[in-house]
Amino acid sequence: MNGRGQVRFEDIVKLHGEFAALKGVTFDIEPGEFFALLGPSGSGKSTTLRILAGLDAPTSGRVYIDGRDITASDARDRDIAMVFQSYALYPHMTVYQNIAFPLEMANLSKAEIGPAVKDAARKVAIDHLLDRKPGQLSGGQQQRCALARAIVRKACLFLLDEPLSNLDAKLRLETRTELKRLQRSLGVTAVYVTHDQEEAMTLADRMAIFMAGEIQQIGRPADVFAKPNSLDVAAFIGSPPMNLIPARYKDGGVEIAGHRLETALKTGGARDVVVGIRPGAVRIGADGIPAIVELIEDLGDTAILDLNCAGTLIRARVSDGNVPREGAALSILARPHDIHLFDKTSRRRL
Amino acid sequence: MTLKRVRLFVVMAIAAIFLLAWVFPIIWSILNSLKTDQDVLAYPPKLMFSPTLEAYRDVLFGSAAILPNLISSFIISIGTTIITMLMAVPAAYALARLRFRGKRFAGFYVLATQMLPPVGIIIPYFLILRRIGWIDTYQGIILIYLSFSLPFAIWLLVSYFEDIPFEMEEAAYLDGATRLRTLWRIIIPQVRGGIAVTIVFVFLNAWNEFLFAVVLSGNTVRPVTVAMFNFVSVEQTLWAKLAAVSVLAMLPVVVLGIVAQKNIVKGLTVGAVKGGGRR
Repeated sequence: MNGRGQVRFEDIVKLHGEFAALKGVTFDIEPGEFFALLGPSGSGKSTTLRILAGLDAPTSGRVYIDGRDITASDARDRDIAMVFQSYALYPHMTVYQNIAFPLEMANLSKAEIGPAVKDAARKVAIDHLLDRKPGQLSGGQQQRCALARAIVRKACLFLLDEPLSNLDAKLRLETRTELKRLQRSLGVTAVYVTHDQEEAMTLADRMAIFMAGEIQQIGRPADVFAKPNSLDVAAFIGSPPMNLIPARYKDGGVEIAGHRLETALKTGGARDVVVGIRPGAVRIGADGIPAIVELIEDLGDTAILDLNCAGTLIRARVSDGNVPREGAALSILARPHDIHLFDKTSRRRL
Repeated sequence: MTLKRVRLFVVMAIAAIFLLAWVFPIIWSILNSLKTDQDVLAYPPKLMFSPTLEAYRDVLFGSAAILPNLISSFIISIGTTIITMLMAVPAAYALARLRFRGKRFAGFYVLATQMLPPVGIIIPYFLILRRIGWIDTYQGIILIYLSFSLPFAIWLLVSYFEDIPFEMEEAAYLDGATRLRTLWRIIIPQVRGGIAVTIVFVFLNAWNEFLFAVVLSGNTVRPVTVAMFNFVSVEQTLWAKLAAVSVLAMLPVVVLGIVAQKNIVKGLTVGAVKGGGRR
């Protein structure tokens, strides 16, 4: 299994008439990696997955799997398994027949199919439901059935298109953990499309952030979170989102609401920038930016404060013990390396 | 409570009137088919009579037996149904799924053929069939029946195919199935309700057809709808035999209706309830 499932996307362009769904997408996925395609809807992540699966053809560019150019080959010749958002189970077949279908198509004998189906069903804990039809299963069980159908074939590549989006919140968390464990134990390469950054952050080894048909950033979730390389990524990753405040940079510091904050950037000169500070990095302390608490969202263990700093809204996350009252006046700070700076015009990280 | 009762009564009364209007001719046929010719013409009509199967014996095995015509009707109807379905299923699938040039036009054309009044085309059909020597042949009648059953069947089936999500098919491709195998193993089993409905309609249309049959058939191939009129002549009408043939001609329709009832009900509600026709 190891060493299989290496993917290379080379300058893929996809046009729908005049509209460019993908404007030259390039990335590599290593064998055994859990790779997430993250982005808002319409950003091109699903198109990317469909091109990889062979369900859509790119307008230009090449797709390689394990070094083989598969751009022109049919979906069924690619040895790729996929879990669809709707699960796409075959409603007229039993769970057993659903899982067995890819093996039947591969012309395996009945003697080989039986144990393989049971094994796959056991891995996702639905081996007691093999005689049911999909319509008789709960949403979570249907999802497992779709997973079993995907893993039974031991394909080189495992594609998941928002597989958790139809589950309720609790089940989603459980399945998320299981999905990760399953992928690890199989050692298979997984490509995972989601618009839910939390899913991508927790599941992925690496992720690609899609915006408007382009990849903005590729990297480990922690790296992307710590160092978003553009304003759009900064605004997209993190919940609640990063505070983005237009400001003037001058000689290593920025001025917000009449107060100077030192940054980690040490270049001289002056320019217009956008300052990014994560709500969790906002600290309450003396001699900072004066702020009035306008609103408090209590989340139990933490609280989100909406702070008015001379007309600028800044949100801060504070832990349970430090929640001030609404209307209280306080002063806020941020450490230099918690301050992200973005160029105002190019929107790139400085 | 009383208002509800009154309303129920009115609804039932109206339903009863409709039911009577529909059922009366059938009961009339059944009763008269069991009478002798004398009893049929008795006035006032006899409600009490000794039933006889003589009329049935005569029309099936007598000198003017219509048994060959029943067989002709079966050959024509089954032939039309089989050929229609073999062509309509792939055509409807193509119209529902594939993108090709002129698809909209093809869809419109299919429907437009249904709007032509049959009397307008019956003479050209007759001339064409005579030219190729297909008057009074099975292939001739089946060919003409195809001209209206095929568009109808395609039009009916397209909506069933459109009801199946694209992803289902894509999943099958990724599972390693070809388009043909996907159609056979994944799609068709899910539209079997619609296929059953279409088979019933096509068969019934062919079985009940009279206008084209009367012009295009002859002494060799004459469906029962045409042959019935053997019992109507200038001198007399053999009511009992006519009624017996009617009952015999109704039988396959009734049997088919009962057999396919579940599928028809399910099939007809397809558009009404989302996903109702699947599974």
